[in-house]
Amino acid sequence: MHSPSQLKRDFLKQWLKGLQMCNYPKKEMSILERKKAIKLSADVAMASTRNATSCWSLALIANASKDGNNKCLVEHLLGQESERLKMASTFQLAILNKKLRSKKIIKKSCSVRRVKKLAPRMVLASSVAKRLAKNRTQLLKSLVPGGESMDEFSLIKETLDYIVSLRVQVDVMRCLANASDLLNCKGVHG
Amino acid sequence: MNRALPEMLHCLNMPGNVAGGGGSADISVLERQRARMKWQQDQNFLIGNHELNVFSAQQLHQLQGSVSNDPGFAEYVTRAVKQDPGMENGWPDVGKFGGDDHLGYGACGYGNVSGFEMNYEAIARTVSCSPTVAAAISEAAVTETKGKESILPEKLNSAVGRESSKKRKADKNQNLKVVAEEDAKEKRIKGCAEEGDSKITEQNSSSKANISNNNNRETSTDTSKENSKVTEVQKPDYIHVRARRGQATDSHSLAERVRREKISERMKYLQDLVPGCNKITGKAGMLDEIINYVQSLQRQVEFLSMKLASVNPRLDFNTENIFTKEIFPACASTYPTIEVSSEMANPAYFQFSPVQQVVSCCGLEMGITPPDMALRRTTSAPVSIPETFLDPSCFNFSYARIFLYFSKSKPLQPGTLSYKTSIAWSFNKEDQQHFPLRHLQ
Repeated sequence: MHSPSQLKRDFLKQWLKGLQMCNYPKKEMSILERKKAIKLSADVAMASTRNATSCWSLALIANASKDGNNKCLVEHLLGQESERLKMASTFQLAILNKKLRSKKIIKKSCSVRRVKKLAPRMVLASSVAKRLAKNRTQLLKSLVPGGESMDEFSLIKETLDYIVSLRVQVDVMRCLANASDLLNCKGVHG
Repeated sequence: MNRALPEMLHCLNMPGNVAGGGGSADISVLERQRARMKWQQDQNFLIGNHELNVFSAQQLHQLQGSVSNDPGFAEYVTRAVKQDPGMENGWPDVGKFGGDDHLGYGACGYGNVSGFEMNYEAIARTVSCSPTVAAAISEAAVTETKGKESILPEKLNSAVGRESSKKRKADKNQNLKVVAEEDAKEKRIKGCAEEGDSKITEQNSSSKANISNNNNRETSTDTSKENSKVTEVQKPDYIHVRARRGQATDSHSLAERVRREKISERMKYLQDLVPGCNKITGKAGMLDEIINYVQSLQRQVEFLSMKLASVNPRLDFNTENIFTKEIFPACASTYPTIEVSSEMANPAYFQFSPVQQVVSCCGLEMGITPPDMALRRTTSAPVSIPETFLDPSCFNFSYARIFLYFSKSKPLQPGTLSYKTSIAWSFNKEDQQHFPLRHLQ
């Protein structure tokens, strides 16, 4: 994995590029639109730093591309990579869906039923624990982009990756926000 | 313990004499019961002790000599098994203690005894689980029809508790031949039995020679039956699997177990990444923390993008605007502005609910690259957050200067305390070793 500073530099570069592209139409945008543009370009930049090595980045790009408005922006931002990334993302999604389907089939056809005669207390405890864990896994799947189509194991790996990228994103954005603040203040005072 | 050894050895010899098993059921039952008593007495002393392996070895052999589904056995085993919930650390697997006919398929201690790892040194590391013996006994008893040996290797294979599995992480993916496993297991068992107090690692090397002649009878019965049972392990890339105590040992459950162990490994990485997870050991709790953290990071991104949108009416984050050189010479005059920005920043920061995580992520990131940290610290910057970007040796881009700007500013004036504190409060204890601002608090 790259060092954090390297990641941050890459992310910043991509992000600024995207922001400039957003600015290109030169039309007045409302604050919400601006916010969306900022966030979108940040997300796409973050995903592109991963260079299609992780599932969530591909899913993120795929989601971003789905929205018609953003499609052009995404394509411009990613440049030559966009086609490749899009193909990779759809490919990966297809593979994952296949995996899930085949797993379900296997589970259904498997006739082994382990009869566990546990003490009632233990049964309750284990089922409660399982249910809790399952709920939370579902929640995590909804948080991580593209998480629904992952099994638990790869979900955790993707979460790890995603957390690191989110951190990078937050750091860079915060720095930029501070810098802009200072600029504005300086402009006000000076 | 030593006093028991001669008896154990005697017991060992008895089933050894009963060739092919089955005939001297009475004797073996007696032996079993005796061993059971002894084990019951000694189990409290043998936590993580090699002696356990001796006992387990003894009993294993006794069971090899005889076969019978002993219902009293099952009860005894369940009782013994239930005594050791502490072995697991809260993961859902804990609940799956065996209580049925297919009891004790995971003999945790057997993992210690068995030679599934070709390097026997690993076994000493794995000697941690206690009530494996009973499990082993039940296993062997129950699975007589299939050939005890066939089950035992699997159980030995799959038996280690979470602690031992953690210890043996390095050994996990070794290639193991099923037959060899069994041989090794039996050799070690006998080695343990015969050598008594000596450590398993020492035993293993020497036991082989002693046991080889004894193995012939047992191994022959096993080879045919192993294959049916250990198909899970017969992959070109053998994965070291241990069945937990109380679990079935069919290939599906073994695969599940592998999967679970992989997941727990990953969870450990997550523990390092997400702040404040060191004390939480349960899967649900960990997931909770992870979810909170991811949500907070996502919220931060939303907030920051909104902030940036409000600050810049035109989205013109042009490098010329931001990175003009006039900013840098004006460092000295930026102290008041730092204050201002801090006041602006404070309400912004305070809006983040999981406060720690705002900066903890920075801190952790800095923790990730300690050598970089040393470099950065030497460049004086008391400001911590932008400092992470500072890497003068490799900055080529002009936009890097903005971070350099941050680092050069030294909030020495008391007026800037608010800025310092706005960052300082968000340190969590993990960051203190990395954040140079600590001393300024």
